[in-house]
Amino acid sequence: MTDTAPLLSLQNITRNFGAIEALRGVSFEMNRGEVVALLGDNGAGKSTLVKIIAGGLEATSGKVMFEGKECNFTSPAEAKAAGIETVYQDLSLCTNVDVVANFFMGREIVKRYFGIPILQEAEMYAATEKAISNAGTKIPSLRVNVEHLSGGQRQAIELNRFVHWGGKLVLLDEPFAALGVEQTRRGLEMIKRIAAQGIGVVIITHIMAQAFQVADRIVVIRQGKVAGDVARDKTSPDEIVRMITGEAFQGKAQEARPNGP
Amino acid sequence: MMSSHQRALIEFVLDNLVWFLLVFVLAIFSVAIPNFFQIGIFANIIEQSTFVGVMAIGLAIVIIAGHMDLSVESVAALTAMVTGILFCTHGIGLGYTLTPEWLIVPVSLLIAMCVGGTIGAINGWLVVRLQMNAFIVTLAAYIWVRGLVVAISGGRSAQGLPPSLRFIGIDTVAYIPLIAWIAIACFALFTFIMAKTPFGRHVTMIGGNAVATFRAGIKVDKLVVFSFVLAGAIAGVAGWLLAIRTSGATANLGTGMLFNAFAAVVIGGVSLKGGVGQLPGVYAGVLLLSSIHTAINLMGLPAHYTQMILGGLVLAAVLLDTVKLSIRQKLA
Repeated sequence: MTDTAPLLSLQNITRNFGAIEALRGVSFEMNRGEVVALLGDNGAGKSTLVKIIAGGLEATSGKVMFEGKECNFTSPAEAKAAGIETVYQDLSLCTNVDVVANFFMGREIVKRYFGIPILQEAEMYAATEKAISNAGTKIPSLRVNVEHLSGGQRQAIELNRFVHWGGKLVLLDEPFAALGVEQTRRGLEMIKRIAAQGIGVVIITHIMAQAFQVADRIVVIRQGKVAGDVARDKTSPDEIVRMITGEAFQGKAQEARPNGP
Repeated sequence: MMSSHQRALIEFVLDNLVWFLLVFVLAIFSVAIPNFFQIGIFANIIEQSTFVGVMAIGLAIVIIAGHMDLSVESVAALTAMVTGILFCTHGIGLGYTLTPEWLIVPVSLLIAMCVGGTIGAINGWLVVRLQMNAFIVTLAAYIWVRGLVVAISGGRSAQGLPPSLRFIGIDTVAYIPLIAWIAIACFALFTFIMAKTPFGRHVTMIGGNAVATFRAGIKVDKLVVFSFVLAGAIAGVAGWLLAIRTSGATANLGTGMLFNAFAAVVIGGVSLKGGVGQLPGVYAGVLLLSSIHTAINLMGLPAHYTQMILGGLVLAAVLLDTVKLSIRQKLA
């Protein structure tokens, strides 16, 4: 592992679902502390790409390099162990248990008595309370089951969860879909804050304004390929829209399409 | 809007509904049925709850994990038969003895748990690795394991366990038979495991949202297989107790217990959708069923009414589950 190597480097990633080519050779790189917005139309392959980085799906071919090492993760547990946190578009919460249990999902604080791990509820409660109140989220009770909470509160739990656990790279798949205006503003601030700590952030969004608010770089995916990879201050929303729809090819298009539709 | 106190109270009542029901039913029976209200009757209810109760623990854990295990009854019959064949002195029993004599208790228990755990492992493997539906896999096991019992016994029975094992089925402590204490201890142990250990927490979360737990890095497949192994091993304990109580085993031992266990689990508040349910509630469900059985016996009603009432109770329990869900949604 060298510090000069990019944090994440994707090399020619493809993924097929049967006869469908969801990804047809995606390559890009990002560094520590960088915020990359991943844009693209519905079905462009953004979520598939995120799942491959996060270990939820395996690539059909291509290489995922994380901190200069080749890591083709076969499970989310491996990606997580390497320091990759993910917030999915369809929420990854267990609604049948309380906020604390969700916050510590898979990372419960335990103390061993005679070799038997016992959950430390008080400790976990305190940590959750601290993290949630630091983020300014209001949840009536941390002991209430998540099924009784609103969509916004649920999303806030997930966002706070990844901020708390940190890691080296955070993947956000439409993280603000269910949030209100104020909560979204807080969320965007949170992203800037964690990027300032040297954590890499990949954010998928449909909303151009959000991308321009937080991203350092914008990567556009179109039909399973990178259609554009530009620094935010060197582009405009109009140009990005053209990349998404495929009307024109400005910016640094990665490769010319062989025969466009 | 209701206050959080009222809400907490309603939640508490909903969570423990089966206990209120049990107390209510026992009170009605005590008043309405002559000779019901005596220690012997209550001790008998608790004793009757032993086998179905222990079996229901494993079944409940698998259902909480979001799957289904219909094989527990046949697994219990198999382990009862294995215990009978190895240690009985009459019939098809081989009458193995151990020195010192007391070793027979841990050894026979361990064998029963291993036999049950093996069947559970086969079920779990088929469900997780081959992605087969748990309902079908364990329905098949329900049939083939019972077939195995008939095959290894040749349809004959084993009788006469040695006193060194038999005492567990005879002795009582504080009016309650030792086997019933063992069942209560099993409930206490697994209630603790489900509430206080990462295993219990993870199994509950898998039943709630398996995808989320997978993404969170929890080893879902391993835990699901393990819950099947656990259900098999616990059913093994139930079979071991059954053999001890009847001092032997017949090929049709325990027939019909599956549906009692299933009814108890549902009545006890375990949701068939997975992720919801507590083991003390299941025990209350078993006690409730036993109380009704006992009341029917005392009233001298023919036994086939029991089945009708049982069936009605299961329907009522599932209906109750739905009603509880809609009340909770209104609370939220």
